[in-house]
Amino acid sequence: MAEKTTLRKEFTKGLLVENPVLRLVLGTCPTLAISTSMTNSIGMGISAMIVLVCSNIAISMLRRVIPSKVRIPAYIVVIASFVTIVQMLVKAFVPALDSALGVYLPLIVVNCIILGRAEAFAGKNSVAASAVDGIGMGIGFTAALLCMATIREFFGNGTLFSGADSLLNLFGITSFTGIEIFSRLPESLHIEPILILILAPGGFFTFGLLMAVSNKIAEGKGKPKAELRGCDSCPMSGSCSLIARDEAGDCAEKQPAQATANTTGGDA
Amino acid sequence: MKNLKEIIVPTVVLFVICLVATFLLALTDKVTAPKIETLTAETEKKSRAEVLPDADTFSNAKTLSVDGKQYSYYIGYDENGNIAGYTFTTSAKGYGGDVVLMTGVDTSGTVTGVTTLVLNETAGLGMNAQKESFRNQYIGKSGVIGVSTVGNKAENGIDAMTGATITSRAVTNAVNLALELYANAKEVGGNG
Amino acid sequence: MTKYYISILLTAILTNNFVLSKFLGICPFLGVSKKLKTATGMSLAVIFVMAMSTAVTYPINAYLLEPKGLGYLQTIVFILVIAVLVQFVETVLKKYIPSLYSALGIYLPLITTNCAVLGVVLLNVERAGAEPSFGFAASMFNSVGGGLGFMLAMVMFAGVRSKMESCDIPKFLQGLPITLIAASLVSVSFLGFGGIVENIFG
Repeated sequence: MAEKTTLRKEFTKGLLVENPVLRLVLGTCPTLAISTSMTNSIGMGISAMIVLVCSNIAISMLRRVIPSKVRIPAYIVVIASFVTIVQMLVKAFVPALDSALGVYLPLIVVNCIILGRAEAFAGKNSVAASAVDGIGMGIGFTAALLCMATIREFFGNGTLFSGADSLLNLFGITSFTGIEIFSRLPESLHIEPILILILAPGGFFTFGLLMAVSNKIAEGKGKPKAELRGCDSCPMSGSCSLIARDEAGDCAEKQPAQATANTTGGDA
Repeated sequence: MKNLKEIIVPTVVLFVICLVATFLLALTDKVTAPKIETLTAETEKKSRAEVLPDADTFSNAKTLSVDGKQYSYYIGYDENGNIAGYTFTTSAKGYGGDVVLMTGVDTSGTVTGVTTLVLNETAGLGMNAQKESFRNQYIGKSGVIGVSTVGNKAENGIDAMTGATITSRAVTNAVNLALELYANAKEVGGNG
Repeated sequence: MTKYYISILLTAILTNNFVLSKFLGICPFLGVSKKLKTATGMSLAVIFVMAMSTAVTYPINAYLLEPKGLGYLQTIVFILVIAVLVQFVETVLKKYIPSLYSALGIYLPLITTNCAVLGVVLLNVERAGAEPSFGFAASMFNSVGGGLGFMLAMVMFAGVRSKMESCDIPKFLQGLPITLIAASLVSVSFLGFGGIVENIFG
């Protein structure tokens, strides 16, 4: 019974409390780049989720075998292989999505959400918990992407789910190609979409506003603001505590001695 | 001895992980590669039928060399085995990289259709070049096609997309190149 | 030919800016742009690593992976090469050029998982496959241009953020939201470069 509740907690935390995009501020690059279209967002979200779940499971299974010295390269190899497998499958079965996502599909490798979860969760927890964590985080990522894409596509292009046939093709449905909204309005109500929202500046702007809303909600629940804490959120931060030192003060010359002292202390 | 173990164990583990990963990738590639290949061939076939609707069958790929560059093209035949026209794959520099198109030209040198093969333009602006309303402007045009922008009407021109003049020009340049290739292909003779 | 390379360089810096129009390398752009000094250090390290990794991955791809039909190993090979390269450069700098190490060294480990570096390498390889004229030299120009574009965006944004420090910002926008909105405005200014390179170099 107790285990069931924990699993449920692992699942739900990714949706809201620890939403990877809006709370942990991870994976900002694909969020900004892909959220011009709802269809592409769903495609990106599902691809990333598959990689996240598979790599979480694999890393959790290997957690006792991988020496901690080489864990980061090992995680990167595992993640990169799953990304490549997903990329090949997308190319073979949903080619339109492959050309729409372009370079951002292989770039899932360096999506901090995946390496971040590997380091923070899968490397320390059981296979089941890691899988559930991956599903929750994946859904949270997709939901945040879709939320941004809905705003950007509706106001910026006047459509919803445009180009949906590229995804639905997989299930043999080709008739639904999205909903045109602004161009269907009667002449007297004619409005032009706010084009800039689907251009690059609109991405930053929409993300900023969403972040403000999410912070407001968090504040109401007594939770701290989402903050990009330099590199705490970065999985490499363990191996590069040096940068934090530089941010804290300009004593790059003074500190190495201390750092070395710390390492030796740790070894002894 | 402990030191040696500390070096060997991580190396072996990492090596095994890499080996397994590469094996899995090779396996997936083996399964998906033929599928991707047929898909690409099918898409090309569909594009050819779309830009040259009068043609029933197509020749094998032919190459043409103009100004020291190689271009590939296909000859389309109607149901009686007469030449219905040609399809050319050409490219031109757009806003976000090369724009690659396929253009169909009939035997009188008139454009019968244009479709985009590679397009990496701005979403909502240059990407609109995929839309039929823009591409169909080229149908029925011949000679050298121009680009009309707001307040600047070009002779024998198509209307540029709002906010995406560079993409409009790139597409037009690629179509003009196809028309130029058509003249060359005709000279070579369509008997091959 | 010189014209071709200059136009690649300018396109990468201005019209196709990595951060502001391709959204690559957003984490350091938002995270380490508070102070001009850190922003410059990070950018120099990015330029350095981008150029180095292109110089290494381009031949690997052209002479090893492509001829053997192993294109599908690109992602995994490139990320490992970048990781090893960064580690290697860090060790060498630390040992032999301590002055450079104290300037760049602290930023190097961060860069392994920076999507701008893997991004530039993958984009170069993809473009080289599509355009035969886009060879090694063009790839190098594109990478250095991408790095310089990153630097331009970082330095400009550091300036904007230092001005913002003294501003009275509405409470609900404080922190990350206002940073993103400021980034949006900087990005608008880069929209103005559209077409400039094509018009200079016809």
